Amino acid sequence: MDTMAAIKQTFFQECEEQLVELESGLLAIEDGTSEPDTINAVFRAVHSIKGGAGAFGLDQLVRFAHAFETALDLMRSGRLSPSRAILKTMLMAADALADLVRVTRENLPADEAEVGRIVQQLELLVEGGDGAAAALAPVAEAPAAEDVPDFQPIQISLADLVGSAPEGARRFKISFEPKPGFYARANEPLTLLRELGRMGQCRVVCDTSHIPALSDLDPEGSYLVFHIELETEATESAVRDVFEFVEFDSQIDIEAIEPEPAFDDDAFARLMSLAAGAPQEMPALIEPVVRIAEPPPAIERVEADSQSRKAEAGKAEAAKVAGGAGATIRVDLDRVERLIDLVGELVINQAMLSQRVAEARLSRSSALAMGLDDLEQLSREIQDSVMAIRAQPVKPIFQRMSRVVREAADMTGKTVTLHCEGESTEVDKTVIERLTDPLTHMIRNAIDHGIEKPEVRLAAGKPESGHIKLSATHRSGRVVIEVSDDGGGINRERVLSAAIAKGLVEPEAQLSDEEIDNLIFLPGFSTAATVTDMSGRGVGMDVVKRSIQALGGRISIVSHPGRGSSFLMSLPLTLAVLDGMIVSVANETLIVPLTAIVETLKPRPQDVFDMGGDTRVIRIRDTFTPLIDIGQVLGYRTEAADPANCVVVLIDLEGHARRALLVDTIQGQRQVVIKSLEANYRRVDGIAAATILGDGRVALILDADAVVANAHSQAAALPEMLEPAE
Amino acid sequence: MSAKQKKPGTIVLAEALDITQAAPLVSELLKMRGSDIRVDASNVRRLGGQCLQALLCASSTWAHEGARLELVNPSPEFSESLAAYGLDPELFNSQEHAL
Repeated sequence: MDTMAAIKQTFFQECEEQLVELESGLLAIEDGTSEPDTINAVFRAVHSIKGGAGAFGLDQLVRFAHAFETALDLMRSGRLSPSRAILKTMLMAADALADLVRVTRENLPADEAEVGRIVQQLELLVEGGDGAAAALAPVAEAPAAEDVPDFQPIQISLADLVGSAPEGARRFKISFEPKPGFYARANEPLTLLRELGRMGQCRVVCDTSHIPALSDLDPEGSYLVFHIELETEATESAVRDVFEFVEFDSQIDIEAIEPEPAFDDDAFARLMSLAAGAPQEMPALIEPVVRIAEPPPAIERVEADSQSRKAEAGKAEAAKVAGGAGATIRVDLDRVERLIDLVGELVINQAMLSQRVAEARLSRSSALAMGLDDLEQLSREIQDSVMAIRAQPVKPIFQRMSRVVREAADMTGKTVTLHCEGESTEVDKTVIERLTDPLTHMIRNAIDHGIEKPEVRLAAGKPESGHIKLSATHRSGRVVIEVSDDGGGINRERVLSAAIAKGLVEPEAQLSDEEIDNLIFLPGFSTAATVTDMSGRGVGMDVVKRSIQALGGRISIVSHPGRGSSFLMSLPLTLAVLDGMIVSVANETLIVPLTAIVETLKPRPQDVFDMGGDTRVIRIRDTFTPLIDIGQVLGYRTEAADPANCVVVLIDLEGHARRALLVDTIQGQRQVVIKSLEANYRRVDGIAAATILGDGRVALILDADAVVANAHSQAAALPEMLEPAE
Repeated sequence: MSAKQKKPGTIVLAEALDITQAAPLVSELLKMRGSDIRVDASNVRRLGGQCLQALLCASSTWAHEGARLELVNPSPEFSESLAAYGLDPELFNSQEHAL
């Protein structure tokens, strides 16, 4: 990758961070939980995206960000009140900006019409303030009067904000005070002063009064302040643009001066002479200060204003420092992957070494064995620490869901609020990435099918606005993510009749409530009376379930009619290691993921029944469960093993489906390092991945669901066994 | 450091007086504090804000302490930059006269 492409990639990574900042800021303002600096952070986020996009010549992004920033600037300066309607437009613009960043990154064409529509809304906001927002972005329900309690249209000059045709010369009084950060970022005041000079007639007075004594001088401090009078045909926004990229590193006050007949050259000359000439008793350079410290009343107002801005800037600076305390570095993901691989090798090596020591029959108390124990402890800690590098908080993905909620609520005409908990819970990066689609689908589903329409909710004595809760917690070494809603719950009658109509369930089947709820995870199941834009896209809950299972996770549902439903997903913290049971099958060693295992048992010959062909079932506590010989399914042996010499591992496939896997022996239980079979060899049906054992041999990790599916296809005649048995 | 040295010293300013030159310049000035010095600006092509403030600080410190700071051979770029900063190009010389 060439340098430019690498820098561009970094820019897009930073954009992602800025977009998160932007959205969380806007949501905080909407919730009323914002800090005074939040609006500045929001503005800075859009501003940074604009700045970076400008550097890469991404014009469309620049134009959009500029329109957005202009509106945000109004909000920042208090000229646009953050009412609900306005925040709705802002959030829409944030979504559009995120889309635009994404299509720009992927070199895809942008949705010009949508971009244009949002830009137009933003411009109308700038033009007409709150009134325009209410007219342009109608919310699902008419905004209540108290939503915009202090609605006062403010007439503002568009010319100043978005630029318009110049109407002759304008005069500006500019005060420019660089901060140390300004110089640290390789900026120089002279560049800006010269640029102003090119815009028109420019007079600069350098205030040197803040320069301390030589012994107190910080060479990299900033002590010079510039007072500039500029006479130009350019607009105020053009003048502001000169300081565009340094405004967070300097104190800038720009004041448009009402046109006067003529520039008072004499007065300025007097000022200059005051600045240059010095009384004998004082060093000359201190003199201009004294004069500038006595501003005329007209400037006092600006100074007071600048003081409050200074205070704000100070807070921002403090926030920056606070953020800097938890210093971070950006590391190429490949390097982390490599490190994780190496640590995996280390753990395997250490296991091999332990095995050799065990084989040598050395005493557990021998120095070598004890040293190895320490090594084991250490490598486990290293592994945990390395895994932690990949761990990321779920916050970004949770935040993305707030957009899903907004859009889905808009589309269905329902009002829904999203409440997130445990956003700082950390999970492996890959798990997070692969959670987006299932979560999006579940939330859309909850809004489309779960949450009732406002009138239905009111009739049921519920609040008009639906509530969705998204939470993440760590529980016994796994992360549990819950999506719950306070809607109508699963309509079990409808689910059952739909499943029967689709032939997914026998009409006479007796299913428990839990089993009926779990029918929604069956492939091809959908109860939506009408196919909606949102959930009728052919992606059902079965896909959600498969995605979660592919992550080594499990999903379950709890539903209470009239009170809502709750989906619980339990996911592994990492995809790099797995707790497994080591079993032997026809002299091969296999790993069965512990998450799938319900129990293990020694079968009694009288409990095993032959159903014809290779099909057998086993009775486990009055329930018949299909018995699957793994050795046969995987082709390790042709003859079915004798259950009397085997062990049964009972696994849970779905809420109501269990299968008994027949294995020869159980060797033990341990955490294994997952090695991709696809990356190193090729995909093998029935096998999820591989690992390397202590003796150096490769062991395959079983994909329980796939093995069961294979067994089904091998014995197509197997009747679906339904428990409980008669 | 403030021991008076009557032997005049010369500081030759670097070509690009940017942020990287500010600390070396201040430390050189500190070393010569109290003695008459000549600051040679003949090589200066770029005058950054932080080096400018160091020179201004030295100028007033020297004046205040009664020593002589003489800016010699200013390059055209140096003088032009002073003017652009809103300072009198003859500032350092007038300072000298003021003493």
